[in-house]
Amino acid sequence: MSVVLAVLWKDLVTEWRRRDRVVAMAVFAFLVVLVLHFALPARDADEARRLAPGLLWVAYVFAGLLGLDRAFAIELENEALSGLALAPADRGWLFLGKAAANFVILGAVQAATAVVFALAFGVELAPVAGGLALVVALGSFGLCAVGTLFGAIAVRTRYREVMLPLLLLPLLVPVLLGAVSATAGLLETGTLRWPSIQLLLVTDAVFGIVSFLSFEYVLDE
Amino acid sequence: MGSTARAAGDAAVDRLAARLRAPTGWLLAGLTGAWLVAVVRAPEDAVQGVIQKILYVHPPLAFAAYLGFGLTAVGGALYLWRGDDAWDRLARSAAEVGVLFCTLMLVTGPIWARGTWGRWWSWDLRLTLTLLLWFVYLAYLLLRSFTEGSERAARFAAVYGIAGLAVIPLNYFAIDLAGGRAIHPENLGSGSLGAGMGLPFLMGVLATLAAFVHLLVRRVEVEGLRTRLAERLAAERDRAGHEEGGRWAM
Amino acid sequence: MSEAAVAVAAEGLEKRFGPVVALAGLDFEVPAGSVLAVLGPNGAGKSTLLRLLAGLARPSAGRVRIGADEGRDRRRMRGRVGYVGHATFLYPNLTVRENLVFAARLHGVARPGARADALLAEQGLAALADRPAGALSRGQAQRLAIARGLVHDPPVVLLDEPFTGLDPASADRLAERVRALAAAGRAVVLVTHDLAQAAALGDRALLLVRGRVAFDSRGTRPSAAALEAAWREVGAA
Repeated sequence: MSVVLAVLWKDLVTEWRRRDRVVAMAVFAFLVVLVLHFALPARDADEARRLAPGLLWVAYVFAGLLGLDRAFAIELENEALSGLALAPADRGWLFLGKAAANFVILGAVQAATAVVFALAFGVELAPVAGGLALVVALGSFGLCAVGTLFGAIAVRTRYREVMLPLLLLPLLVPVLLGAVSATAGLLETGTLRWPSIQLLLVTDAVFGIVSFLSFEYVLDE
Repeated sequence: MGSTARAAGDAAVDRLAARLRAPTGWLLAGLTGAWLVAVVRAPEDAVQGVIQKILYVHPPLAFAAYLGFGLTAVGGALYLWRGDDAWDRLARSAAEVGVLFCTLMLVTGPIWARGTWGRWWSWDLRLTLTLLLWFVYLAYLLLRSFTEGSERAARFAAVYGIAGLAVIPLNYFAIDLAGGRAIHPENLGSGSLGAGMGLPFLMGVLATLAAFVHLLVRRVEVEGLRTRLAERLAAERDRAGHEEGGRWAM
Repeated sequence: MSEAAVAVAAEGLEKRFGPVVALAGLDFEVPAGSVLAVLGPNGAGKSTLLRLLAGLARPSAGRVRIGADEGRDRRRMRGRVGYVGHATFLYPNLTVRENLVFAARLHGVARPGARADALLAEQGLAALADRPAGALSRGQAQRLAIARGLVHDPPVVLLDEPFTGLDPASADRLAERVRALAAAGRAVVLVTHDLAQAAALGDRALLLVRGRVAFDSRGTRPSAAALEAAWREVGAA
């Protein structure tokens, strides 16, 4: 357990000192919102509300992919990844620490992006902020779970930056559909759609367990 | 398990594959013949016309595609657990054969759709599910290509196979949630197969499975040949290095 | 560090990467308090051997024994081995002390802060404690990497070409360090290109060529002359 906290601390402190990952993710997310605004202009408030969930999550997924890639890129310096592999701990704990750090950093970016998004598309997110936070948390959990697992894999392949989205996107469909549907429910009726939340919970559980157990085999040399 | 034991294990797989090649080939030929006869003799559907006969091709391909990925995932899991290369061979071969059937499914699906509903593509549940499976297959194969080191590639691919298998039921519910149950023809269980369609359909399933097994056997054989060739080349290089007598690099 | 009989041993150790045989059936034992020098040309499998001993990779065949431990549980093995590789495993944005504390926590050391301070004092790095690890010189980073490898006080220490790029003074200090480690009862496996160092430090020397042992000094201390002769023989074979 202290291994989890150690890795989490290390990633957050490193990010705090460098700030390059979180800034890159945030700027990228804002740019995506900007591009989407031009690509899919909403003619009125209703259309904006209809498009919003999907577009918001597109921005979130892109920012997430960038962050997950950077998360393991920093472990390549001085072969620090091997240093982690040497730990006599169950590697699932290492996974948990890394995924938690990714979750926190992505969360910060997502919060900022939500504000920018609300402004750009003229959508009122404040009234459903609580529910939205829950949905985003559930979605990010799944994203960070498989994302951390395959981030560790992708970092050891050729064309790392391409490999990660290639591996992740087919797997992210349940997360995306659940999150978008739940977000849409919030924006339209202000309530949480239970089937969507259920899908997210099940997906998170499956991804969490598979990633935790598989990480053991990913760090071997 | 020493290297001789490993070589023996590999040789056993090679022998098994070699022995299965002919029988599965004949079985495939026989079943395909029987299937063709059954298809030609099957009655034409009153509503859909002759295009309906894709029923005897398309769903059987689905069985093979999903079976293929199941084997890929299970083979990978066993490889991780036991460290035996033979399981990885199975996983890799199943993936390559499976992706073929999956691609065929994605080709026949739209043909059928166009013939019956007039649209080339629809985002209905089963078609979308198969499309996602296809992407997972592709990602699996690309991961194997782009990972350096065959042992690492095998390990990474095994992990991806397991994740890919786990996501199939999740995708089913996800697409269902997004309203994908709309257009696809009803499940067979609800008795929509008209009279005279049962036999050719069954033949189709059996023939497709036979095709899958036969191709799998041949692919496993090829993989064995490839491995032995690579080993022989490596040994040659070893010997050549010795005979050259050059100074080793420090 | 109380087990006097602790050793590290390889039994029929094999490692294959697909068709390539990196290590072909190695057998040897390293008693506690001794230094095994491993030499060989590039691609001989030296680093692969260390990685197997460190529990970083799974052998294709055979096993690694640490003391009486049969090596089935690689996690436990990793807890008893200290590995100092080519790379330093250091995080440039963390300070020297933070790197050690992190490594200590990673290895489950009881009081990470105190341990880090003790190691810093031992390696003469206390003055640099708050410097970012990215700002260290090669020699300083090397010392920190060694401290990191010893953070959990392992009975077995593996060093992969630690003398590379060191100036003579640092190299001498490192040699002293290696002797001290062995004198304290640890089993040390030292991979090096430097025949002189191997002769000076090794209680036994193995020359690996393409995954096989081409020369083994066995129970006797290797002399520089013997090593040079073996090296030339291997080169001419």
